[in-house]
Amino acid sequence: MPTDLSRLRNFCIIAHIDHGKSTLADRLLDLTHAVSERNMRAQYLDKMDLERERGITIKAQAVRLAYAAADGREYVLNLIDTPGHVDFTYEVSRALAACEGAVLLVDAAQGIEAQTLANLYLAVEADLAIIPVINKIDLPAAQPDRVAREIEQVLGVPAEGMLRVSAKTGEGVPELLEALVDRVPAPAGDPGAPARALVFDSLYDSYRGVIAYVRMVDGRLAKDDRVRMMAAGHVSEAEEVGVFAPEAVPTPELAAGEVGYLIPGVKDVRRVRVGDTATTAARPAAKPLPGYREPRPMVYSGLYPIEGDDFPDLRDALDRLRLNDAALVYEPESSTALGFGFRCGFLGLLHMDIVRERLEREFDLALITTAPNVAYRVTLETGETIMVSNPSELPPAGSIQRIEEPYVAAMVLCPADYIGPVMDLCQGRRGELVTMEYLSEERVELRYQLPLAEIIFDFFDQLKSRTRGYASLDYEPSGYREADLVKVDVLLQGEPVDAFSAIVHKDKAYGYGRAMTAKLKRLIPRQLYEVPIQATIGAKVIARETITARRKDVLAKCYGGDVTRKRKLLERQKEGKRRMKQIGRVEVPQEAFVAALRTDEG
Amino acid sequence: MTAGAVDNREQAVAGPVRLPHRGTEPGARSPQAALAGSLVDPGLFGVYVHVPFCLTRCQYCDFVTYTGMEGLRRPYAAALLEEAALAVAGLGAEPPVATSVFVGGGTPTLLPPDDLARVLGRLRQLLGLAPGAEVTVEANPETVDEAMAEGLASAGVTRVSMGAQSFDDRVLAALGRVHDAGRVGQAVATLRAAGVPAVNLDLIYGGPGEDAGSWAATLERAVALEPEHLSAYALTIEPATKFGRLVAAGRMAEPDEDDLADRYDTACAVLADAGYGHYEVSNWARAGHASRHNLTYWRRGRYLGLGAGAHEFDGATRRWNVPGVPQYLEAVHAGRRPTDGEERLDPGQARFEALALRLRTVDGLDPEEARALGVDPDGQEAANLRAAGLLGPGPGLALTERGMFLHGEVVARLG
Repeated sequence: MPTDLSRLRNFCIIAHIDHGKSTLADRLLDLTHAVSERNMRAQYLDKMDLERERGITIKAQAVRLAYAAADGREYVLNLIDTPGHVDFTYEVSRALAACEGAVLLVDAAQGIEAQTLANLYLAVEADLAIIPVINKIDLPAAQPDRVAREIEQVLGVPAEGMLRVSAKTGEGVPELLEALVDRVPAPAGDPGAPARALVFDSLYDSYRGVIAYVRMVDGRLAKDDRVRMMAAGHVSEAEEVGVFAPEAVPTPELAAGEVGYLIPGVKDVRRVRVGDTATTAARPAAKPLPGYREPRPMVYSGLYPIEGDDFPDLRDALDRLRLNDAALVYEPESSTALGFGFRCGFLGLLHMDIVRERLEREFDLALITTAPNVAYRVTLETGETIMVSNPSELPPAGSIQRIEEPYVAAMVLCPADYIGPVMDLCQGRRGELVTMEYLSEERVELRYQLPLAEIIFDFFDQLKSRTRGYASLDYEPSGYREADLVKVDVLLQGEPVDAFSAIVHKDKAYGYGRAMTAKLKRLIPRQLYEVPIQATIGAKVIARETITARRKDVLAKCYGGDVTRKRKLLERQKEGKRRMKQIGRVEVPQEAFVAALRTDEG
Repeated sequence: MTAGAVDNREQAVAGPVRLPHRGTEPGARSPQAALAGSLVDPGLFGVYVHVPFCLTRCQYCDFVTYTGMEGLRRPYAAALLEEAALAVAGLGAEPPVATSVFVGGGTPTLLPPDDLARVLGRLRQLLGLAPGAEVTVEANPETVDEAMAEGLASAGVTRVSMGAQSFDDRVLAALGRVHDAGRVGQAVATLRAAGVPAVNLDLIYGGPGEDAGSWAATLERAVALEPEHLSAYALTIEPATKFGRLVAAGRMAEPDEDDLADRYDTACAVLADAGYGHYEVSNWARAGHASRHNLTYWRRGRYLGLGAGAHEFDGATRRWNVPGVPQYLEAVHAGRRPTDGEERLDPGQARFEALALRLRTVDGLDPEEARALGVDPDGQEAANLRAAGLLGPGPGLALTERGMFLHGEVVARLG
């Protein structure tokens, strides 16, 4: 059922978290009757429970809406959902590449936010038709005129005539549907050319294997075609193609301009990567679509099972998650402190949290996660360059010529009143101010060059708390820079604990050392012997604490001959001892590692 | 520890206390047979009787005890007689004679002396008491008057264990005790006058308002009363107590570990100087006055448990009674033991339990006993603990005084 190209509109919604994207999507579904009332779940587009709880959209999805327009014709509107987080900029860019138009949805009370702006710039670069929409006009705090001026400033379109809607009440949404038909161009593709389908997302289904979300750019893909993934090089047979209406509905084929899904009969998402181009083996396209990029981890962390016996389960769980998450990379490593685990690379902190939560929730694993770190580019005296993604593996200082760390170009949007606190924060994090621009009288855009390592430690929380939640942040990698970095080790009774080693800027080494030793003094129970805790740079001790020897550990009273209770307490103590990690002579409870490695407390 | 203290100890608890049995027990095991298992001392057989009534509940107490219930006290005493018969019937045709009886609480002396005498008389009749058997009744100072003291003495009580807890009135008030320090001395004098042969004083350290000076003064005043036996317990905060709730609400600090250890050290020093032998973690005694009933617990002797919430041990299985008084009465009146639960220890549990209990005592385990429990007295772990000063020089396994206060750690390492 190839659709007449002139009746197709492919669009997405660019919005900040909580600005009402999912509610607007629900309203569009309502008005086009794509979902019967009975089947309608609130916020249809967010599929995973985790997303529902976090109120964010991780995996892009697409919905096909049949719309009878005012001109009396029926149109097919494909709404492509995009993730709304800085970790997933690349995924956003691919979803945008599948569209001709974008709705810029801005909360009438909040104004435009950094991520929205970043994604808007991506959309403008991708040449999409932008339809600015001011949402939540029903709120008492709504300031649609101010927000309209802000959008005018950013986008260079007149504030007058901007669409104002309430996704909640439905007000203004019919007008938006008309605007989509009028202002989003119909797709221009060559139905007769060799097939080229852009994979803008993929997910893994345990029954069907990989399901690729595709936008047909040229040609056609039909069921039973032999399909080649041009970047991955993998060839397989298309088990099914179809559209989302909104549940998956198989169709005989997908033709140029259409948005739908392809089930290529593949069990591993790494073979069907976001940004790759699907073509047919029989008549392959000469060139893939532009923009494909290998996933690039930005943040690394060691994941270790709390119970050493769970290591094989952790490996299986990661293997299974990878089926669904092409951006997840990991390799086994071992730690003297934590045993066997994996060094994992993530797109960012959110991605890391999601993976960790899924491992704990879906696979019932109890994990210790080492503090997140970035990958350092280390040039040795020999001239050789190595990448170090585990701080404990940094070669000795004497053999290092220089260390470079990844930087990001960060954009902060905040009310003008908070410029001071934001600049203080960025300066404290070794940031370099690049530009400062007023979006309106009240709102400012600050651009900084910042070390990524400084952002992955509670930067966002600090930013939020110093601006009462009004600032927003977006960033993208901007290369490596040399810096004065040192490795701080933490020693328990003279034994280094590799899990606590960190690469930090020289000026911050003392602070890290002091904080870590104090934290461990608090967390490690007293032992039979006095235990010194030291933080060192090379042979130099920069901080020291002492855990005094334990003096009391006895159950006082055997009341009324109740030996059972006493024995059970002692059995538990013995059991607890078995679960302690032994660092030299020091026994460290797992909970102490978990707590010491948490980044959200001091 | 002073030489004098060591002497006391040797006299007090030299080896398993062996006492005659009435008749020949069919299933009686030799000490060697007991060794091969998990150290059940066949020479000890105690009876614990629980009296779960108190005037008020103390701030630290999570024992099975009830305030009020005046109307149930006499029916309860009567039920104890019935339960004693049921329990002894369960021991077969040739029950062993009792080497100790311990009437604890609660506050047993809230029962009239006649009732207590009847309970003891019934036990004597049903089981018989070994010559020199230890018969202890717990008392709170405010309940001891002349009539009570004389009643206890004439009932054959050999030992009264008094809940003194402190000789600092501020501490006593903070603990929720109803007596003052002066009352303890009066009660001891009254007991002596009535001819009660031995007195124990229970003390608690680490309570609110106590400091190093007040604890030292408490020990001095306790020693001045010349009790034959002293127990000193570190205050433990149990969740289901008033203190537990205050700590949980952040309105009270848990006792500081170092403070408790300092108090313990003071107790060890003061009591050794005063000639008391430190024979168990929390217990000190003059020569010949170590509590045989206490030792029955630590040496895994068998004991019956009578009364609400009482525990008993038959050498293999541990059982405990329902804690509620009405439920207790109902079961006994229906002719049933009011058993609430039981556990049969597997051999590993029994060995671990024997290790934990025996290490509480100054004698610990001799090398053969240790090996029978699966612990090598010459092994690496034992050597580490000796080097750390927690275990004595050997050849067996016995905790030093410092080691006793780290009993849990040592047991977890050896067990």
